[in-house]
Amino acid sequence: MTRTTLWLIALFALIAAACVAFGAYFSYVTLLNAHRNAIEARFAITAERLAGTAERASSLGIALPAQTTFEGLLRREAELEPSISAIDVVDERGVVLFSSEPARVGRADPKVRNAVSKRITSDLGTTIGLVELRYDPEALAAGAAALADDLTVIAIPTLAVACLATILVGLLLALGLRRSARRAAEPASWPPAARTAFETVAKVHLRAAPGAPSSLAPEPRT
Amino acid sequence: MIGFRAGISIAIALVLCVALAVVGWGARTAAQRTIEPEMLAKAQSVGRSAASLVEVAYGSGIPIDKMVGVRSYFADLRKANREFALIRMTTPDGRELARSGDGTGMAGAPVVHTAVTSRSGVPIADIAVTVDPGVISEEVGGVLIDVAFIGIVSLLIALELVALVIGTSGIAALAALEDRLRALAKGRLALHESGAQTRARDLVAPIDQQVSLLAARHAEARAAAARAGDAEALAQLDLVARRTGLGAVSTSENQAAVAVRPALFLFMLAEELTRPFLPRFAQGLAAADEAIGPDLAASLPIVAFMAVMALCQLPFAALSERMGRRPGFLIGALLAAAGYALSASTGDYMLFLAARVTTAVGYALVFVSAQGHVVDHAAGSARTTALAVFVRAIMVASLCGPPIGGVVADRLGPQAAFMLAAGLAVLSLGVAVLTLPAARHAARGAGLAWSDLKDAARAPRLMALLVGCAFPAKLLLAALCFLLVPLQLQAMGYSSAAIGRFQMIYPILMVMLVPVFAAMADRLSARAGFVVLGGLVAGAGALALPLYPGVPTIALALVLLGVGQSMSIASQSALVADSATGGRSAGVLGLFRLVERSGNAAGPAAAGALLAGLGFALSGALLGAVVVAGAALYAVAGRGTLRGEATHAAVASEGEV
Repeated sequence: MTRTTLWLIALFALIAAACVAFGAYFSYVTLLNAHRNAIEARFAITAERLAGTAERASSLGIALPAQTTFEGLLRREAELEPSISAIDVVDERGVVLFSSEPARVGRADPKVRNAVSKRITSDLGTTIGLVELRYDPEALAAGAAALADDLTVIAIPTLAVACLATILVGLLLALGLRRSARRAAEPASWPPAARTAFETVAKVHLRAAPGAPSSLAPEPRT
Repeated sequence: MIGFRAGISIAIALVLCVALAVVGWGARTAAQRTIEPEMLAKAQSVGRSAASLVEVAYGSGIPIDKMVGVRSYFADLRKANREFALIRMTTPDGRELARSGDGTGMAGAPVVHTAVTSRSGVPIADIAVTVDPGVISEEVGGVLIDVAFIGIVSLLIALELVALVIGTSGIAALAALEDRLRALAKGRLALHESGAQTRARDLVAPIDQQVSLLAARHAEARAAAARAGDAEALAQLDLVARRTGLGAVSTSENQAAVAVRPALFLFMLAEELTRPFLPRFAQGLAAADEAIGPDLAASLPIVAFMAVMALCQLPFAALSERMGRRPGFLIGALLAAAGYALSASTGDYMLFLAARVTTAVGYALVFVSAQGHVVDHAAGSARTTALAVFVRAIMVASLCGPPIGGVVADRLGPQAAFMLAAGLAVLSLGVAVLTLPAARHAARGAGLAWSDLKDAARAPRLMALLVGCAFPAKLLLAALCFLLVPLQLQAMGYSSAAIGRFQMIYPILMVMLVPVFAAMADRLSARAGFVVLGGLVAGAGALALPLYPGVPTIALALVLLGVGQSMSIASQSALVADSATGGRSAGVLGLFRLVERSGNAAGPAAAGALLAGLGFALSGALLGAVVVAGAALYAVAGRGTLRGEATHAAVASEGEV
């Protein structure tokens, strides 16, 4: 019996701990996504602005490779934000035409994970190039580490307290159950409803068979 | 008296709520430190981008106060960035030129200003973006509500499966002790047959001894009174025995039902997972097919599932008897698991329909096999108790499944939720292998023939009850809970997790209220009255939908559906059982189940057909009117018999499927 209740308490404490851990993890993932979205949305706005500039020039008849003012513009935009590692304008084949890092011009690098891109389209809607903004993964990693630290500081003690509280409540309930069981062994200490029922029965017995016990005195054990 | 398991569950629910609130507070603090600066930087970029557009327009010669489209541009920006509560453009002297959003309640919120300048650098306007950092806290809050529901539902699942984890003997010992203490707390002095040989024997033996002594003394007193011919004393002794249960023996849970319960619960949980997202998922698959409208696309898989269930009910009863209950359960679970896996992996609507039909075939086979197992191993009143255990497992599954399925579908995708369902079906198969006894093959399954049903239909007042009450009840339930409400909430922008939480309303009320209304109907001897009243209440909720087609009315409709069906379902089953006399009990019960399942299939079909023409509220109301009319028809058909003693104890129907 004791083993059963201890197993039950352990099982429920495990559930409580798992739920708090899940809650903390899901919260972390939500915050991480929000952080990534905030950073990438900011870079996407920059990329969109640059793509808009290229599209306006294209509308005026200036072909993308001829938009040489991009060299300075890309460098200035990249300097505004330290976590931008490079901004490229690439043609439809993926070759870098202009870049905030002049050494990258003429290269055709594969896509990277920490990048935001925006298509440059002609007036006819065809893609004539791409603005690709590469950012330093450290910008995300630092935020992720800070979020993880902040949540760990709060989640681990909360998890421990939730576990302990469950164990404590479980032990108190188990003790209460055992005490109730012991009290139930003697009609004198039965719950009020049972005592009333017992007394009613005893009165009826006394009337039907005079001499029968009529009180809640302990019954002899056999 | 509150039991140990119930007590610790309530305590954990409270502990979890507090713990998750603390985690939420921690997440909010973390967001303020890490994400808020990023949001402000983003607002700065947005402001700079907007300013540059205005500068281009101004440079083209458009006066700053004559620019058109600025407001809609700001509105688009806010739509794409929920954290921007307000975007304003003002002249240097403070005159407002354009705005989007409402700054109410945003006092003290960070504002990012960007100057709009002419080519010569003269300031011509100011763009101010007010950032609401609370958006992230709201997102975290939503996540934590999901987790809190998962936690509470996990507790219910743990309570359901606890015997599997820590062994049935330990649980039997605990239950034996709790049964005795609960009986004493209610003033009941009946003997308990269970638990004397369990680990709790040291604790229960002294209680049993006292109650046995009292019972023995009662028997002696009764014998003495009988010998003396004291009729008054005898009457008093019998009265007190009836009131206190003295001398009676309280039966324990049927072991056949206990054995099948964990496997059945896991299996039912698998199907319940799909409830909140299935209509939306089906619509998504059919999107490319112009021949199938979205409403039909959503309803067809549910209709197909329910129709297969209804059609397979009778033949599978005989089949499972012939092949044995255990193999029937195992084959059914395997088929259903294959169906779920196919649902998860296919992108084709017709293949998805085929997968749902496969699942339905498996579901029907598992259901009749589990029910057959309980019926085979219980007789008389024990059968009623055993079936009540069986029904409880289904109800708890319908309570736990939708919120979990919704969260999984939201966070990991509907395919993951279907794969989880497949995993649960396989797990139920494994549990059934361990817990169900080896098959007892019947030489030839007796089953039920259509002629039995025809014969059963002649039972007095049975068809009025089935057509007027049983069919409309399931029609409304399946239409409202499985199709109309999920689709309407989805259209209102609710997540699958939130839809799952709405779908909990009905089973919660059923679990809580069915025993209460069943006892009340028995006490008042008014079962037919409860059936009619339940139908009227359930229908009234749906009829209220057009009054204000918003979330409060939807919640009210679900609450009234739950309350109404809690009133009627147990009494309805008891009345059906009362009709099952004269050697046609199997036929009557078979007919009852067939009519109920037909209602389940007809509900989504009718709702799907009505939805396109009438919309959500009127479709729901029309189906509600059918329920009210059915209840009225039954009341008129049985005038003068709404009160009357029934011979069978009220027991709930077999849940919502």
